[in-house]
Amino acid sequence: MPTKKVDEDIRELVVRYRPIITFRVRKALGASNTDCEDLVSEIISQVLEKIKTGEFRGESSLGTFVYTISSRRIVDYIREKTKIMKYAPEPLPFPDPQETLETQETANKVRKALSKLKPKYRDIIYLYYYQELNREEVAAKLGISTRKVSELVNYALKLIRNEIKK
Amino acid sequence: MKKCRFEGLIDGYLLNKLSERDKEAFEEHYFNCSSCFQKLQERDIIIRTVKNNPDLFEQKEPARSSVMANLRREVASFFTPKQLALAGVTAALFVAIIFVVVPRPEGPAPVFLLTDEEAIRGSSITLISPVIDMYQIPTSFEWKKLGEDIEYQVAIYNSELLWKTNTKENRITLPDDIKAKMVPGEKYSWQVKAFGSDGSLIAVSSRVQFTIAAQ
Repeated sequence: MPTKKVDEDIRELVVRYRPIITFRVRKALGASNTDCEDLVSEIISQVLEKIKTGEFRGESSLGTFVYTISSRRIVDYIREKTKIMKYAPEPLPFPDPQETLETQETANKVRKALSKLKPKYRDIIYLYYYQELNREEVAAKLGISTRKVSELVNYALKLIRNEIKK
Repeated sequence: MKKCRFEGLIDGYLLNKLSERDKEAFEEHYFNCSSCFQKLQERDIIIRTVKNNPDLFEQKEPARSSVMANLRREVASFFTPKQLALAGVTAALFVAIIFVVVPRPEGPAPVFLLTDEEAIRGSSITLISPVIDMYQIPTSFEWKKLGEDIEYQVAIYNSELLWKTNTKENRITLPDDIKAKMVPGEKYSWQVKAFGSDGSLIAVSSRVQFTIAAQ
C-alpha cells in the first residue's frame, strides 16, 4: 500500500527531525522565544511539502536538505524581526533546561553529579564550562598540561554521564 | 565505538566559540549524525546546568580550595587523631587559664579627655526627658548626673540651633522666650555635653529627637 508507506515515512521523518530542528531553532532564537514552536512546525510543513512536490531529489542527504530549509527559515525569521524591532532578538545565552520533564530530570541528575564530583573535577568543570576558559588558560591556572585538562574534562563528563544513565 | 571527528566541536558550538564556517559545518553535520546530536543534547543540558547553578561551585574556587585541602591534608598527616585531640584540650586549658584563673587587675577606668572638635562615638550621658514625643511643649530638660564639678552644655535644635546654655545642674528649665519659639507639630532634638573643671570635654550624649504633637 503506497499511501500507508508514505504516511509511515512522514511519521518517521517528523519523529527523527523534530528534535533536531527544535534544537537548531532554540539555539538561534533562544529557548524562551515563544515563536520557536511555530517556526519548527512551519519548517516541518515546508520539508514535507517539498518532498511531496518532488523538490527533494536526493542530491544531498535528507539531513542536509532539512538543515538547509531550517537555516533559511531561521534567517528569514530574523530578517522579519529585524525589520520590525530594528535589532534582531538576542537569544538568552543559557536558559534553564526545564523545557520538558525529561530534560528537567536530566538537569537534576547533572546537578546531583556535579555536587558529588571530587574537587579536582569540579574545578575543571567550573573553569572550562562556567568561566569558559580555553584549555590552555585552564592549564596555566592549574599548573597542569593541556592534555591533562582534556583528560580531566572528559573524565568529569564521563562521571556526569554515568549519573544521568542511573 | 569509533569517535566522530565532529565530536570535538560540541563544546565550541554550545559555548559560541566556533567560527561561522565551523558552526555551519557542525550544524549540517548534526542534522545527519544522530550520535553527535545525542551527545550535543546531553552536553547542552550539562553546560546549562553548570551555568545556572553557580552555587554548586561557591567556596570552591580552585586555588583556594586546593590550598585549604592541602593544609587540611598536611595537618592530618602531621598529627594522629589522638595528638589532634590533645592539642585541642591544651588550647582550651590555655584559654581558660588566661580568662578565668589569672586575676584581672581592678583599677579605675582610664579617663579620656577630648577637645570640643573631636568626634565621639557612642554616648556617655544618658538623657532622661524628653526622649519621646510630647503632647505639650516641655518645660524642662533632664539628664543623668555624671559627677561633681561638671559643667553641662545643653543645646536644643529644630532645623538649626534654637538655644544653647550652660549649667552645673543635671536639669534646666526652658525660658519663656525659647518656649514661645517651639511650635506643636514640629520636630526638635537636644544634646548635652559635659566639661571638666579645666574646661575639657568629658562626654557627649546622643542627639535625641522628639516631636511636639499638633494640638
